[in-house]
Amino acid sequence: MSVASVPFSFSRLSLIAGNTFLEAVRQKLFNFLLLLAVGLVASAQFFREFNFGSSELKFIADFGFGALIFFGSALTIATTAQLFFSEIENRTALTLLAKPLWRAEFVFGKFLGVFAVIGVFCALTIGLMMALLWHREGQLMEMRPEDFANGRLIAYGDLLVVGVLQWLKFGVLTAIVLLIASFSNTNLFTVVTGFFVLVICHLQYLARDAWGNVDNPLVGLVVRALGFIFPNFQLFNLADQVGQGAGVSPVVALQVAGYAVAYIAVIGGLAVYSFRNREI
Amino acid sequence: MSQPVSAISIQGLTKDFSVTLRGVKLRAVDALNLEVAEGQVYGLLGPNGSGKSTTIKIILGLLDATVGDVRVFGVPAHRVEARRNVGYLPEAPYFYRYLSGRELVKFYARVCGVSGTTLKARVDEVIDWVGLSGAADRRVGTYSKGMLQRIGLAQALVHDPKLIVLDEPTAGVDPVGSAEMCELIRKLKQQGKTVLITSHLLAQIEDVCDRVAILDRGKLIVEGSVLELVGQRDRQALIVDPLSEVDLVALRAWLEARGHHLNAVEQPRARLDQLFLSKVSRPGRPGGASAGVGSNEVPLDAKP
Ligand SMILES: Nc1ncnc2c1ncn2[C@@H]1O[C@H](COP(=O)(O)OP(=O)(O)OP(=O)(O)O)[C@@H](O)[C@H]1O
Ligand SMILES: [Mg+2]
Repeated sequence: MSVASVPFSFSRLSLIAGNTFLEAVRQKLFNFLLLLAVGLVASAQFFREFNFGSSELKFIADFGFGALIFFGSALTIATTAQLFFSEIENRTALTLLAKPLWRAEFVFGKFLGVFAVIGVFCALTIGLMMALLWHREGQLMEMRPEDFANGRLIAYGDLLVVGVLQWLKFGVLTAIVLLIASFSNTNLFTVVTGFFVLVICHLQYLARDAWGNVDNPLVGLVVRALGFIFPNFQLFNLADQVGQGAGVSPVVALQVAGYAVAYIAVIGGLAVYSFRNREI
Repeated sequence: MSQPVSAISIQGLTKDFSVTLRGVKLRAVDALNLEVAEGQVYGLLGPNGSGKSTTIKIILGLLDATVGDVRVFGVPAHRVEARRNVGYLPEAPYFYRYLSGRELVKFYARVCGVSGTTLKARVDEVIDWVGLSGAADRRVGTYSKGMLQRIGLAQALVHDPKLIVLDEPTAGVDPVGSAEMCELIRKLKQQGKTVLITSHLLAQIEDVCDRVAILDRGKLIVEGSVLELVGQRDRQALIVDPLSEVDLVALRAWLEARGHHLNAVEQPRARLDQLFLSKVSRPGRPGGASAGVGSNEVPLDAKP
């Protein structure tokens, strides 16, 4: 007797993504996200007395992105690990994976669900930050019109581009945490290892700068290999250029986005491979 | 194919778990051979830790066999296609507590490819079938153990599978509920489904199963049809009104004269579960079809 094969299905994948997102919504994760975003952006207001004119705007943008990067990373690691292990620890994965479902659909479904949750956080934070900037810029324009002879200083489009790139970076981080979770037994191990890898990804450029040109070819090779295995998260920090004449080059932005997508695909693929051998 | 394929075919199945860091192995299933023919209700019995759930998980492709060949309707169990025709209720089931019962069944139905116009009808049908209509819109997180088993059965049946695997479906369910569970299993059999079931309630297994296998420490020790195994063909029971001592002596003599022997005289007793079933009433649920489900729910708008 031959049974029709089960093709890979994007609708099953999106069902799982949707259910993962719904879990975050119904477990009240979003109330927390909203509070966090409002709290972060509002705290930038405390530095109002600086009143340095246009540099105050730059400060708000830097502060906003700093907060986004820091809390976004922490949130990505914790959310990914939590939404993955809630399925394993509550043994709901047992019922789900006993359905005609590919493990790849499960892993990428989880990925998309978490990615959407993080997307909401990014959109909230960036949106609130832009609203605050716009409001403050309007006030400053009235106070000292001479500084704003050429209209608004802040390039809001660039802020948006950098925000999207940060979101993609969190996507890479999500894939990394899923890869760790696919073979790890506990939530805690996954979170701790995730933070460890995050630090490596942020700091690996230091190693490359310091040792990349050392004469010893072996050390050079190892450093370059590490730089290849771990994505360089520093590449995504285009925020420095925001609002400073040059702006963000679309070509660079696209290259960075492509870099993120390539890493997501490869690391996600590894996660699927490792999860396929996992005993539930 | 000329020969009919078994619903489940297990040949030489061995499963080892490494249980310590030094790689010491625990043999959970040991050289198991088993055939479950289509249309049978098959009971898998054995003490705790004898490897029943492990065998089931291998059948469902959740675990990989260490050695051996496991097929579901002829398809190797580790392939995704093998799970097309299978519904599974895990032991001590636990579901997404943030969904309502209906949402949960709908989610699994869609994962199994039920879609379009049949989706809603099918979801309502199975929920009704397991007797959960009254509680379908409550969060699964608020369900009792018995209700979890019912919703678990609903999700296992929603895509109309040919084989249904139930791991301890009556654990933690009250006698009324487990009698109903047996009734549902009998109905599944009438519909031509194959059912593999594990349970520690042997009386119920005996009532509902065609064949049973008993495992002990991963090894198959007994296998056969229930009638073959426990039927006593050389014995018969007569149940009569109370006899006086004189009548009893006469009866014994009458039997002896015809070459029979009166083996035992006992006072028959109703089984405790029969007593329970006849005494426990479920208000507002005539026919008992939905017993155990929100029976003491008070409508919020019905203020006294
Ligand atoms: N993931 C695992 N890792 C290590 N050992 C396991 C694992 N799963 C099961 N075992 C062991 O395998 C043996 C068989 O377990 P199994 O759950 O199959 O028993 P069971 O017959 O279903 O028992 P019960 O009636 O208690 O449900 C047990 O000794 C158990 O400890
Ligand atoms: Mg078990």
